[in-house]
Amino acid sequence: MKLSLAAVTATTCLLLASEARAESCTGITSSGGRFATCFDLGNRLSVTAGSEGFGGSLALRHVVTFEDEPDLVWKLEHQMLDVTHATFEDRFSGALYRGRYVRHARDGHIVIPLGTPKKIFLPFDVGGFAEAGRIEWKPDSTEVRIGVVKTAALFDLSRSRDFRRRIAFGPVAKWEVDADRDEMTLTQHTVSPFTSLIANVRLERANGRSLANFEIEGGEVWHSKDGWKPDLRAEASLEHVVLAVNDRPIAVTLGVKYETATDEVLARVGARVVLFDRRDPRVQLAPLKRR
Amino acid sequence: MTRSLTLALVAMGIGLPRLAAADSGGLLPAMSPDKPVICGRDTEGKVWRIQCDAAAKVCIYAANEELSSSGRRTKPLERARDCEIDQDFDRKKLEASGYSFVQGRVDAPYGWLRDERGRILQVNFDLRKRIFFGAAYTPQKILDNPLESKRTSVDFGLLSFNKLSDGATPTMHRIRLVHGEVHVEPFSAEITIAHWDVSRRFLDPLLRLTTFVGQPQRHDLHLNLGLWTEAGGLEIHPSQGGHSTIWKHATLQGTLDLWQSPDLNSFVRVRSGIGLEGQHTDGTGYRSALVPSSAFEIDAQVDDDGFHNVKFEFTHEAPRYFVPFQNSVEGSSQRFATRLKAKLSYEAIILAINDQPLSIKLAAGGEKRDDIFGVPDQWAFVADAGLRFSLWAPPRDPTPRPAGP
Repeated sequence: MKLSLAAVTATTCLLLASEARAESCTGITSSGGRFATCFDLGNRLSVTAGSEGFGGSLALRHVVTFEDEPDLVWKLEHQMLDVTHATFEDRFSGALYRGRYVRHARDGHIVIPLGTPKKIFLPFDVGGFAEAGRIEWKPDSTEVRIGVVKTAALFDLSRSRDFRRRIAFGPVAKWEVDADRDEMTLTQHTVSPFTSLIANVRLERANGRSLANFEIEGGEVWHSKDGWKPDLRAEASLEHVVLAVNDRPIAVTLGVKYETATDEVLARVGARVVLFDRRDPRVQLAPLKRR
Repeated sequence: MTRSLTLALVAMGIGLPRLAAADSGGLLPAMSPDKPVICGRDTEGKVWRIQCDAAAKVCIYAANEELSSSGRRTKPLERARDCEIDQDFDRKKLEASGYSFVQGRVDAPYGWLRDERGRILQVNFDLRKRIFFGAAYTPQKILDNPLESKRTSVDFGLLSFNKLSDGATPTMHRIRLVHGEVHVEPFSAEITIAHWDVSRRFLDPLLRLTTFVGQPQRHDLHLNLGLWTEAGGLEIHPSQGGHSTIWKHATLQGTLDLWQSPDLNSFVRVRSGIGLEGQHTDGTGYRSALVPSSAFEIDAQVDDDGFHNVKFEFTHEAPRYFVPFQNSVEGSSQRFATRLKAKLSYEAIILAINDQPLSIKLAAGGEKRDDIFGVPDQWAFVADAGLRFSLWAPPRDPTPRPAGP
């Protein structure tokens, strides 16, 4: 597993190194036809097929800006109905909603409002993570794990104004329920009352053709049957667009995941097809008018 | 910084003469956001904001940029009004006519404060509009491993949103999505997926009483009715031999506001209605019930800046089960149960990180119920203290408060 994570990390560094100079987002064929070479990875409806199974997800992201405070941006990312079902075995994972909300300000600070309010500089953006309605089950088991809710405070060291870079960490609170699918009974509750930490690095190339994501979550988690136990989950993933059909990208995906609960390492490879997406605003498919 | 500012002012063509004394709060006087402001350029080309009060014969001046700790101008002011350069500004003429110039701070919009370096900070928070998550603890701890705590709890709210529809009969909509709390050791949880309630202030009174003893007088009796609904509630409690899970499918209640604050953010009310729920208890199985319920509620923002918030809730629920059940080994079967709950909580903002408030929450509550197998029918009390971090929490609505009785 360490080797796989190292490989993904190395590829991430390569991605960073090639992150680059401004490039045109519109390609032109020899006959004058135009096509998109940049893509918006955060606003799309996609389906994925691969070694892990078949699934899909709806992703939306947008910013909220303020006319009277141009240095302040709320970056909002939403992911809905992110599901995967294995093809040849009874394995399923899905989440109803997952969101990240980061408040980017040029001058991060703490305000202590006691007496005369005081402002102290902070080198990070603050935000939050929320997930509701996650369901997972694995083959050869009647147990289903329901992630009722998970929240985290996020401190983003990258302080990026856009979505292309995130280096965030923060404490996590979550509540998960294990249920027996056959008997329809709840078997165990798992709670992390901010006794876990999450760290997330996400890097996206400016042209939206490559994406690397690494997330690790670990700490002490309370189980209603077994009491407090250490818990660690790590996941790394890469996505690289290799093809576009009608300007809708098709990407190769790679990933590796580990968790102590099952002591299981899962690697995956697949293809992601974007059914609908928001056209990158830098793409100009209509020819410019002559003056 | 003050020394640097003084040196800069010496070089000003508009010749601002001296530094003003700080006001009683330790900050320089601020310009009024309701009065006009002009900009003037000094001999070095630097722009200053100036606001003159003709009645007091005082002009407040401040740099038109944010300043570093050394007094160097760093970047444009945030949340500042547009300011046009006034080429006709004549300091000497103003001084000759009796005006004095004092150093001050540029004005800030409602809910914000500007410090002496021109930096903006939020000082007014609406905790009714936020995403929040928090953790709370009771004093009992296992000392050899501080991570293992007893009666630890987390609470969360993925969206709280209040919307006031202003008008002749102002109406406040309160929406809450995925609110709840989870306790560990022993485990218990409460979560509500969706909540919507609405308070209304009616223009016309239900009853007008006129008294004719002495001078005729009119007394209006208003009946501010509203609606309270919840859907997708879940409660999980420890029971004898396992857990008891209560699915509160939907609840509908009518409300009567006994008192409303002018902005409808705070209220005292009673509510009553009916709900449908299902309960699964390990060992005794599943049963459904219709649940008549009523409650007395106080929800108050104590100060105008939203720093102090108090909530009290006393609820009575009386499930009527479709099939009889036993709530103890020796007890007889019954169709009726009673749940009584009281909870008082106080939340106060202690600091803000990037203008996102961190608050302390103190809560105490009690519960008495006979609907869970093996749980004794007596009052049980709990108190906890914790921290909450809120996202969004904009300044409270500065719009004029709705008129009404």
